[in-house]
Amino acid sequence: MNDRFDDELLAKARNLATEVQPGRDLWPDIAAAISEPAGRPRLFGLTNVLTQAAAVLVLVGGSSGLTYLAVSGDRAGVSPVATTQGLEVETVAANFGTQYSLGPDFVDARRDLEARLGDELTRLSPEARADVLKNLAAIRSAIREINTALAQEPDNALLQDLLLSSYRKELELMQSVNGLAGNSMYREDI
Amino acid sequence: MTHAVVNEEELLIRRAQKADQRAFEQLYRRYVGKVYGLCLRMTCNPAEAEDCAQEAFIQAWTKLGNFRGDSGFGTWIHKVAVNAVLGRMRKSRREQDRIRAVAEDMDGPPSVGDSGGMRDLEQAMNELPSGARHVFVLTTVYGYSHEEAGDMLGIAVGTSKAQLHRAKRLLAQQLGTAGAA
Repeated sequence: MNDRFDDELLAKARNLATEVQPGRDLWPDIAAAISEPAGRPRLFGLTNVLTQAAAVLVLVGGSSGLTYLAVSGDRAGVSPVATTQGLEVETVAANFGTQYSLGPDFVDARRDLEARLGDELTRLSPEARADVLKNLAAIRSAIREINTALAQEPDNALLQDLLLSSYRKELELMQSVNGLAGNSMYREDI
Repeated sequence: MTHAVVNEEELLIRRAQKADQRAFEQLYRRYVGKVYGLCLRMTCNPAEAEDCAQEAFIQAWTKLGNFRGDSGFGTWIHKVAVNAVLGRMRKSRREQDRIRAVAEDMDGPPSVGDSGGMRDLEQAMNELPSGARHVFVLTTVYGYSHEEAGDMLGIAVGTSKAQLHRAKRLLAQQLGTAGAA
């Protein structure tokens, strides 16, 4: 590498175009991204929460179906094999923004199911019980994450629906364990 | 750039800082060529460059409140674009593979003076390892100082200088210059 080459290289490099137009207009996608209801500072965090929560619900949905089959199979003639000691069924608070709250019927049903869940769990085999608790933990983790996001965006309808879906999954799982037939939740429940 | 244009741009920036999307769109129209051009030179891939440019403008929108005008808006958004490219490259396994492949090529015997003709400079730049390419693009093509390039890339000034030297040496080899040493 000599000075002449250096000079020639620099001259050529400086003549390269510094402005190049992209093959498509990027603005529509940018405008869509910055118009998210989450607003500017929380755009990426909220998207992440939504994605994670949705993924958890999809996974839990599929897994809950398997749990239901396991629980149904267990129910016939299985006598209690464990005590309720060590089985913690936590209550997860709901945050539906400034205009909504969980309806009283749902709150009562959930409280009743939770009260019976501990006893019902003891009737399951250790594997099925572990599966149920694992799914419940996943659902409640999603509920906590969505609640955190809703604390920042209390009236975000998408988050509210996700939270509702999470509660619906939780209720369905508890119903499958308790063997109760109940109505699923709908938007009118909040 | 005339005084009037500067004032107009300042006005657009102030409006965009107050979440005026129309003002931000005008800034986008004004700078998209510069941002995409830099992303393209850094990534050597039009599709990735589009994604990086898009990401840069989204990031710029979220960080616009931090822009104080200490440097020009063009420099500031270039820095945001460099961050977008580096962030994307960190995630890109393909880039790592490509860097390794190029590095292996570099270990072979130099092709000094073997072709009798100069290969295209842009093609040669594309084949540089990313560290050397980024410094070369920022300092030589875009005219940033080593201090500015180092700040943008998160590297020391000495590293920037070393990478530029390396880039020139590799370009000399690739371009078949007899004087390469």
